[in-house]
Amino acid sequence: MTEKEKYAQVRREAGFTGLALLALILFWLVAGFGAAQLDLEVCGLPLWIVTSSLGVWAAAIVLVKLLTGFVFRDMDLDEQRAPDGRGAEPRG
Amino acid sequence: MSSVPLMEGGRNLVAETGHLSTLLPLLVFMCGMVGISLFVRYQQRTGFGSNFVQQYFIGNHDLGGFVLAMTTVATYSSVSSFVGGPGMAWQVGFGWIYMAVVQVTAIFLVLGIFGKRVALLSRKFHAVTVVDIIRERFQSDFIAGMAAFIIVLFFCGTMTAQFVGGAKLFAAVTGYSYEMGLVLFGLVVVIYTSIGGFRAVALTDTCCAIMMMIGIALLLYYVLDAGGGYAAIMEHIRVHEPQMLEPFSAGKMPWGIYLTQWILVGICTIALPQSVVRGISYKDTKGLHHAMLIGTVVIGFMNIGINFTGILAHGVLTGDLASYGGVDNIIPTTIVTVMPQSLVGLAIIGPLAASISTISGLLIVASSAIIKDVYLHYQEKRNREVSTGQIRLLSMVATAVIGAVVFVIALTPPSLIWLINMFAFGGLETAFFWTLLLGLFWRRANRLGAFLSMGGGTIVYCLAQGMGFKIMELHQITIGITCSLIFFLLGSYLGKPAEKQVLEKFFPEEL
Repeated sequence: MTEKEKYAQVRREAGFTGLALLALILFWLVAGFGAAQLDLEVCGLPLWIVTSSLGVWAAAIVLVKLLTGFVFRDMDLDEQRAPDGRGAEPRG
Repeated sequence: MSSVPLMEGGRNLVAETGHLSTLLPLLVFMCGMVGISLFVRYQQRTGFGSNFVQQYFIGNHDLGGFVLAMTTVATYSSVSSFVGGPGMAWQVGFGWIYMAVVQVTAIFLVLGIFGKRVALLSRKFHAVTVVDIIRERFQSDFIAGMAAFIIVLFFCGTMTAQFVGGAKLFAAVTGYSYEMGLVLFGLVVVIYTSIGGFRAVALTDTCCAIMMMIGIALLLYYVLDAGGGYAAIMEHIRVHEPQMLEPFSAGKMPWGIYLTQWILVGICTIALPQSVVRGISYKDTKGLHHAMLIGTVVIGFMNIGINFTGILAHGVLTGDLASYGGVDNIIPTTIVTVMPQSLVGLAIIGPLAASISTISGLLIVASSAIIKDVYLHYQEKRNREVSTGQIRLLSMVATAVIGAVVFVIALTPPSLIWLINMFAFGGLETAFFWTLLLGLFWRRANRLGAFLSMGGGTIVYCLAQGMGFKIMELHQITIGITCSLIFFLLGSYLGKPAEKQVLEKFFPEEL
């Protein structure tokens, strides 16, 4: 990957991470406040308690799996010198 | 983190007298931490010569995925996640878990949004700290200095709160004195952080995170056991505390708490410098991807596990809150009540590990702000050579001195210490959220915007906190983060755009 492609890819990954956050917030609303409207029970607990805790946790794990599986790509982090030869000058 | 500050009153002893056996596991654990630090120092003895600053403050881009995940989680999870939080869960019920679970976003967001960007940029500029990157982006020593100042100030507040929280818990559970606890774990964390630097912090954090999980599992098991089993405890709650099964808990959990929790301990935590700096520290992108997954699994386990344990403690602590002396005493009382004497010493390591892993993470970043961001930069500007020997000594001394100052404050803690913890969290987020997010992803972001957002936003936030001013009863982070955004946009549209050569380096994808 060229430097340009790397930065474009990183921006895309950050954007999709933001989308994953939105998806999780929606899930969180439905799994908690939404499910609390239902009169269902699981393992002796009202349904919303299970979906809003274990459910949200599982959803977050699935979303991260989707991100790292389909959006995130491996790349070499070490710098290739810029074409003009002006990389960064060492500091510290 | 829990959004509710721990309250006063945790200092009255729950355990009557101290048993040496309860100290033994903690002593062994702390010795292990120092051992790791000495080992790191020994291992890096050759490398410490050539590039000390990078090794001491960031561990040389060397962390693998597992350690990266654990150190990010451990630094983020503080003693209040283990004491105040589950105490509130005991009082409020399952709504508290529903609120706390938003923290599952904290790890994948910071690593997913900033992880690679910061890694690429830090290699480009040989940056060691978040402040380095801010300095390069906005080409301003003043903004960098302000960032370093805000970091040191708020970190010291947070660290003091961690010291006090840990020592109070120690005193309550073991029966030994508060001061002894402070020396036992507080002094030791300062020592091992000073000796081993960031790499030691990362490795000890990993041990701490593992101990936290073991601690939660142990406590959960014994709470269930002592409470007569899951079904019996749930039946008790259903009959005596039915509101605990409602998300709003009969008014104890208004919607505003849910909203501010999302902002304060969810979304905005991505900009906490102690989290973002971890983006500089890892080795390769495979590690980062693993860390996002492992971190999310671990933080979910901890948050749900410990708060669920807090709720189940109803099977053991059947009195009212006042009889236990406040929410902070719920977990210490539970530990003393349900754990066999021989295991109390082991059970206390979990919450103390949460405390020391946060302290070590903050301490090394605060020290880097003083040494790297202020002192070395100043010397470099004046073209003064600083020898490696001098840097090595100064770095260790700075770490030790900051730790010692916080330690001394914690010996006679200010009475409002618990407020300081959350206050500092919100302050750091107000200062850094837009500066980092817009600074690293928006070309138009400029010096004036960053200056107004960081300076003005933080001042507005502090004033709102100081005067107790709230809008719609929401935590002041909502005011801070909104003002800081408005200031940033104002500055960015009114001020000059950033220099072309800066934009070329920061946004090569948009050339």
